[in-house]
Amino acid sequence: MEMEKEILVALAGNPNSGKTTIFNNLTGARQHVGNWPGVTVEKKEGTLRWGDYLLRVVDLPGTYSLSAHSIDELIARNFVVEERPDVVVDIVDASNLERNLYLALQFMELEARLVIALNMMDVAESRGFRIDVKGLEKFLGVPVVPTVATKKIGMEELVRAIIAVASKDEKIGVQINYGEEIEAELRKIEDLIRKEPSLNKYPPRWLALKLLEGDQEVRKLFEGGEG
Amino acid sequence: MKREILEEAERSRRHLGSIFGDDPEVAIADRRYGFISGVCKKVLKRPHTERITFSDKVDRMVLHRALGIPIFLFLMWLMFKFTFALSEPPMGWVEEGIGWLGDKVGKLLPEGSVIQSLVVDGVFGGLGSVLVFVPLIFILFFCIAILEDSGYMARAAFVMDRFMYKIGLHGRSFIPMLLGFGCNIPGIMACRTIEQERDRLVTILVNPFMSCSARLPVYLLLIGAFFPQRGSTMLFLLYLIGIGVAILMAKVLRNTVLKGPPTPFVMELPPYRVPTLRGVVIHMWERGVLFLRKAGTVIFGVCLFMWFLTSFPWNPPCSKDYEGLIQEAQKSFQLEVAAIAEALKVPPQQLETHEGFSAFLAVQREFEAMVEGLEEGPEVEAAHRWRQKQLASLRQSYPDIYPLFLKYMEAKTERDKRIEELEREQAAEKLQRSYAGALGRAIEPIVEPLGFNWKIGVSLVGGILAKEAVVGVLGTLYAVGEEAEAPLRQRLLEDRWPDGSKVFTPLVAFSLMVFTLLYVPCVASVAVIYRETNSWKWPLFAMLYTTAVAWIAAFIVYQGGRVLGT
Repeated sequence: MEMEKEILVALAGNPNSGKTTIFNNLTGARQHVGNWPGVTVEKKEGTLRWGDYLLRVVDLPGTYSLSAHSIDELIARNFVVEERPDVVVDIVDASNLERNLYLALQFMELEARLVIALNMMDVAESRGFRIDVKGLEKFLGVPVVPTVATKKIGMEELVRAIIAVASKDEKIGVQINYGEEIEAELRKIEDLIRKEPSLNKYPPRWLALKLLEGDQEVRKLFEGGEG
Repeated sequence: MKREILEEAERSRRHLGSIFGDDPEVAIADRRYGFISGVCKKVLKRPHTERITFSDKVDRMVLHRALGIPIFLFLMWLMFKFTFALSEPPMGWVEEGIGWLGDKVGKLLPEGSVIQSLVVDGVFGGLGSVLVFVPLIFILFFCIAILEDSGYMARAAFVMDRFMYKIGLHGRSFIPMLLGFGCNIPGIMACRTIEQERDRLVTILVNPFMSCSARLPVYLLLIGAFFPQRGSTMLFLLYLIGIGVAILMAKVLRNTVLKGPPTPFVMELPPYRVPTLRGVVIHMWERGVLFLRKAGTVIFGVCLFMWFLTSFPWNPPCSKDYEGLIQEAQKSFQLEVAAIAEALKVPPQQLETHEGFSAFLAVQREFEAMVEGLEEGPEVEAAHRWRQKQLASLRQSYPDIYPLFLKYMEAKTERDKRIEELEREQAAEKLQRSYAGALGRAIEPIVEPLGFNWKIGVSLVGGILAKEAVVGVLGTLYAVGEEAEAPLRQRLLEDRWPDGSKVFTPLVAFSLMVFTLLYVPCVASVAVIYRETNSWKWPLFAMLYTTAVAWIAAFIVYQGGRVLGT
């Protein structure tokens, strides 16, 4: 019998971006609701079979950012950092592109394997927005799939994009240049981090960036324990 | 270890905080929003009813299809104007200061010795050629920091992106190219903002074609001599040739050694801000110091090497016995002095203390002290008038001595002129017989098809040091000294080939200007290319290919011009 390949998919996005609808579209009735470990935030999981693949989809809390300022943000971030899902799908509200891309950028900083679902394309178009999807893909370096979750448009393309990203190994997503000064400091700290074996499960550039931002959660990694 | 990382991060945070005057978290978020804003400008068409922020309003103007480029060009023109106007006086001070110090130190060392030449020409000369750039670089970096911190530079790159993309470069390549007009060094250093390796290399490699300000003295000399009527047109033409060649070579490099399409990139459009003085000064300081530390050492080393090439062999056998001739001039002056002393009935060594004669000498000495270091002008004229008046009154008291004094002055002037001439001739011949001279002769067959003789060859070798050195070396070779521009023009116009035809024609001058514009990046640029690419491969490549391009271009100019009969 052929082996089924399991793909762990994390579903992320701003609140009201249509994340739940997409989750329901993908997993249908095969859902299971629990709690995130240690907190009373609801954790939804579901599965989807597609050819030889079994997609295990985890619905992350809706957030605007991953800065660890709120418990939702921390849950979303820790899941991506600790569980390293095969694919992170970021549901982006096409009618509010600028604000929504901020979260996508942070997933890219985390070196998550990202697929962007450009949702609510119908709303965006009716409001007069025109989005160059190919251009967006080119500039971000990750697949972008236009969807209208409420009408189940683009779901098949989304699944195909997820499988395509999961079956490739190469790095995707562009790296933002933070400008000469910040980059110089980043490099310095990154080099130190690379020499520390206990940190090698984290992307070093991301750790360095978070240290520069003064992120309290990341600081804890460095304050406690040996060394 | 982890603690150390944390401490290092804290240091970085404080450092960044002092630059941005804000929490680094804010600066980093700004960059993210800038990136997103850039992406959205490219891929998103908005309905017209969207609310408009201040940044959007300004952007609507500076990113305007028709107005964007003129606004940008105007701001750049302003920046250059400001930079050059402001840096000219301090550059003069640095030059004079170093020269003065070199003179003082040189006087402490044995006259005419190798060690004196090493210290004065080698060490201080080398130091001068590094430090003279410092005011220019700091002021330019200051202006750039203001434009950058305000958020405008990102817009400038955005405006030029489409054009740059067409020629195989990056929108970000534009600023480095532009800076190249001032000086290639900050231009090459500015390439750091280009992330993609290939794009960065192309921009670095074509940057030396941007006609930097050091090439201006060469143009000014030759245009003054050969194109006095069409000065600004010629100058503009040369700049255009530089730009054209840069575009062409970018295309060529992109299709050969650095193959591949330019990577699509997003321009960050951060919100506009009022730059803080502190941030701007820190920016300027860090980059300026970087230039001094990284390029300075290499420039200095190569200056010493060029000193060696131009000064050795130390005392080559010369065609004339210069020392003897100088002594002869001294001797004939002594004879005149003896004759004057005899007329006054004193021994020659007491002439200067002779009651009447010393009064004339005192006036002369005071006059010389008055005009020392002055240029022609009302002050000098006043000094002349004063001298005439004093001499006239002395003449009344000593009518017999006056003609003797005139005779004395005439002999003295004669002697000084003769010695100066001999020293210049000697310097020219020494240079001619130095290793640099030998090199010039060796390359004469290579540069002859471009219309150049060996003297031009040597000056081009000198120009590797810094392009303006072409003028200095020509000055030494044509035995007019380095400072005098007008007599050098005259000599250039008079120089002839062995067959009697003129060396310098307008066509040769143009060919030489084109060659100077395009050939070998100066030592400092090569040093910076080495530092920025971290290998000798690219600077060597840059030296070779630019020289090849220059040769071809000058060949086309000279031979083409001859065929067309101009």
